[in-house]
Amino acid sequence: MRPWMVLAAIAALSALWLGRGEPEPRADIRFVSAEVFTLDPQRMSWQQDLRVARALYEPLLVRDAVTGLPKAGLAQSWSCSDDGRTWTFALRTQARWSDGSPVAASDVRYAWMRALLPDLATDFAGIQLRIEGAEEFLRWRAEALAAHAASPGDPEALWSRTRETFDRLVAVRSPDAHTLVVTLVQPVPYWLDLMTFPTTSPVQERQAERFRRLDPASGTVRWDTAWTKPDALVTNGPYRLESWRYKRGMRLVASPMWWNHAAMRNQSLELVPIADAGTAVLAFDTGSVDWLCDVAVDWRSDMAAQRRAWDARVEPVARRLTADGLEGDELIAALPAPGPGERRDLVVIPAFGTEFWQFNCRPTLPDGSANPFAIASVRRAFARCVDRVAIVDRVTRLGEPTTTTLVPRGAIPGYESPAGLEMDRERARIELAEAGWSDRNGDGVPEDERGAPFPSVTLLYSVSVDRYKLIALALRDMWRTTLGVDVQLVGKDTKFFKDDLKQGKFMIARGNWYGDYADPLTFLELLETGNGNNDRGYSNPAYDSLLHEAAATRDAAQRLAILSRAEALLMDHDVPVLPLCQLSAVYMVDPASLAGVSHQPMLEDEFWRMHRRTDPEREALSTLGSEASR
Amino acid sequence: MSVGSMILRRSLQLPLVLGAVFLVTFSLMWLVPGNPMESEGRRPPPEIAALFERSYAMEDPVEFGAQYLDRASGFAWLTGRHDRPFDLGPSLRHADWTVNEIIAAGLPVSMALGALAMVFALAIGLSAGILAGVRPGSLGDSIGQGVSVIGISLPGFVVGSALSAVFCAWLQWFPVATWDGWRSAILPALALSLPFAAVIARLVRYGMLEEMRSDHVRTAMAKGRSRAGAAVHHAMKNALLPVLSYLGPATAAAMTGSFVVEKVFAVPGIGRHFVEGVLGKDVTLVMGIVLCYSSLLVLLNLAVDLLYRVVDPRIEAA
Repeated sequence: MRPWMVLAAIAALSALWLGRGEPEPRADIRFVSAEVFTLDPQRMSWQQDLRVARALYEPLLVRDAVTGLPKAGLAQSWSCSDDGRTWTFALRTQARWSDGSPVAASDVRYAWMRALLPDLATDFAGIQLRIEGAEEFLRWRAEALAAHAASPGDPEALWSRTRETFDRLVAVRSPDAHTLVVTLVQPVPYWLDLMTFPTTSPVQERQAERFRRLDPASGTVRWDTAWTKPDALVTNGPYRLESWRYKRGMRLVASPMWWNHAAMRNQSLELVPIADAGTAVLAFDTGSVDWLCDVAVDWRSDMAAQRRAWDARVEPVARRLTADGLEGDELIAALPAPGPGERRDLVVIPAFGTEFWQFNCRPTLPDGSANPFAIASVRRAFARCVDRVAIVDRVTRLGEPTTTTLVPRGAIPGYESPAGLEMDRERARIELAEAGWSDRNGDGVPEDERGAPFPSVTLLYSVSVDRYKLIALALRDMWRTTLGVDVQLVGKDTKFFKDDLKQGKFMIARGNWYGDYADPLTFLELLETGNGNNDRGYSNPAYDSLLHEAAATRDAAQRLAILSRAEALLMDHDVPVLPLCQLSAVYMVDPASLAGVSHQPMLEDEFWRMHRRTDPEREALSTLGSEASR
Repeated sequence: MSVGSMILRRSLQLPLVLGAVFLVTFSLMWLVPGNPMESEGRRPPPEIAALFERSYAMEDPVEFGAQYLDRASGFAWLTGRHDRPFDLGPSLRHADWTVNEIIAAGLPVSMALGALAMVFALAIGLSAGILAGVRPGSLGDSIGQGVSVIGISLPGFVVGSALSAVFCAWLQWFPVATWDGWRSAILPALALSLPFAAVIARLVRYGMLEEMRSDHVRTAMAKGRSRAGAAVHHAMKNALLPVLSYLGPATAAAMTGSFVVEKVFAVPGIGRHFVEGVLGKDVTLVMGIVLCYSSLLVLLNLAVDLLYRVVDPRIEAA
């Protein structure tokens, strides 16, 4: 046998093996999203997981993709007791699991018990922890596990004791199969909003119990990885899981058992996990996918400029069409198609999140030296130097809405945002001088009374994307020119960056936060003394007591007013964080081809509403547009 | 030494090599900061993180390492303390997958792609190297040399992006970022093969240059063999020896996947998992892939040494 024949044989075999199997037909909607970590709703914490969960599961309430408000989901109706603590949910009697069996209130209870298991380490257990008895249960279980680990007994016995304890302690009851009664520790005004969160979705108890595994040594419970695979997973949402291959894609098909199945505008979804930013854009541009859920940060600016170019050109036509009552996706689809150097398929959505830089507020730095930023007026001085408009126009070039507050302004109805600190360089110098730092020897650098110059300030950021470094450079220049302080950049790999943040090893660091539910508290609790995510080490008893006061206030408007005062204390006076701009979600989706993608800041989609436009539909829209251009 | 004793000796070495690799990688992974549970800025409360570590027996590196080795080696299974052999454990980050499942899904893809890439590399590298070596200084030599410099120095993401821009976006001959059928394997295999092809071309060229000057080839030409005939029948076999020893590690490298090529072409192989595992501090995933890679490397080196003895009987395995 000749060597070349061996090579040819290997090539043919590899090609045959790679080419085996029929390619599946294209799903109705293909979208690019990062690889899903888990389909176990209680264990989810990443955006991509939550996104898919909204297709597979249906919690008690769901967020409307158009209005952004909570509406009936698994629960058909609900009521609240006069003291605001007890909620009664009536489940839809026609709600079915994808295997056809009815969804019972006990499935919700089972899921919520799972959420509270300390051994499952769920990120969002905080939702269920607002229920009466939940804390006790969590503590009981943790202690029971510790006792078991010390002297292992029968893990099954421990598990059944756990279930009994949950029934006894936690105030989630199901008087009948379709009623769920929940009693909270104290009134939670945004409880209905929390009930839309995918981690509160039910799981089918019967199926989940089949895949439950107990570790004899530690007594901890874990669910077999086979549970969330297509053959086993039972869901109660609009779709069911048809296939899932690791980092290769996931296919969902419409579940005929879903109560609103008849209203669905598409029958199948495919998640394509493309890790490379350039490849993802190429896949979109060649029509291989319909929707890119996240455009890589470094690519955004140039594409956003192309979108602005198109917006500017079609603006007069848009005004005429708007006057005719056209809006949203339909309006975009009717407008004249983009020319060279323009695009209409980039959507920038101001999200429910804030990008900021944060000050280390601890009295001393890790090296033991005094921390100048422990003084509020120093932080105010630094905050007043920042020209946010220059940053979004010339540095990030995305034109994000700038902000001087932590809670996105106008995002929560009835909540009045404080003014915050605008740029005022004169005041900045005065505030720094009030803290004892002024230029005493005329060298341009501020010194304290003893003549020691202002310590060199370090700016910590992660080098994962260019954006943060560019912003840090801009901030350095602003602080150098206005205050005369020395500023050094410290860029670190994400992991080391996070580690430094956690240990308080920074002076000023980059940060951001997305709100989880439509209430100011989702942002404000970040600054509470002792909060696990309070990286700044900020602690102000006056602030903490305002949060407590708000928690004890029943009247919704009054409560929001107190929270507003708390934020004013933060943003007008203490500034532990220096907000820059609202975070943006950047999608690639052409509204002329795919309709129904939500533009709500919470970025929660109802997949069943989406559909690819048919040719006649597109023609009708473009005719409207060409009439308006004439 | 007989072939049999060589195989035996290498098989006995394998556990030692794997043990050493395990120790080094494991210590490095343990020292890296971070937590596999961390996501998007949020971090678990300390007591929950502690429970997570306990449930994966991660409180003590020695205990974790011992338990891991016990299960991964199959020893626990042999002695009836565990229900399956070679259990590499659950992925710490991808809660819905075990490391065995991840490797089982990715490795065949990477191996088939790697095999295809090595075939491309050999086809391109051998022909370029032989042409260049037979007539050094000719136009063909200069072109071959130039191409191999580019192949070695251009990073994979440039080659990959360029290939997909031309063949997927512009000419539309191949699909973008889908993994269906042999057509989607051509471009990634080509991108993967270029650096290997470049090295092979250089090795063959030098080998041919040497051999063409050697006594037995010159004798053959003096006896009337044409230059091409002498090259094919007398010089080539010896010139290919260095390529053979390069093939072992090269094939192992190609078969365990390239992070860059797999990322650019959205190939579901294991090359990406390794880097992403390191970034996410997924200790078990990284360990599993490293052990898998080391075994493959040892086995392929053994195969090359056996091949060597077939090609050159003078060689005694060292």
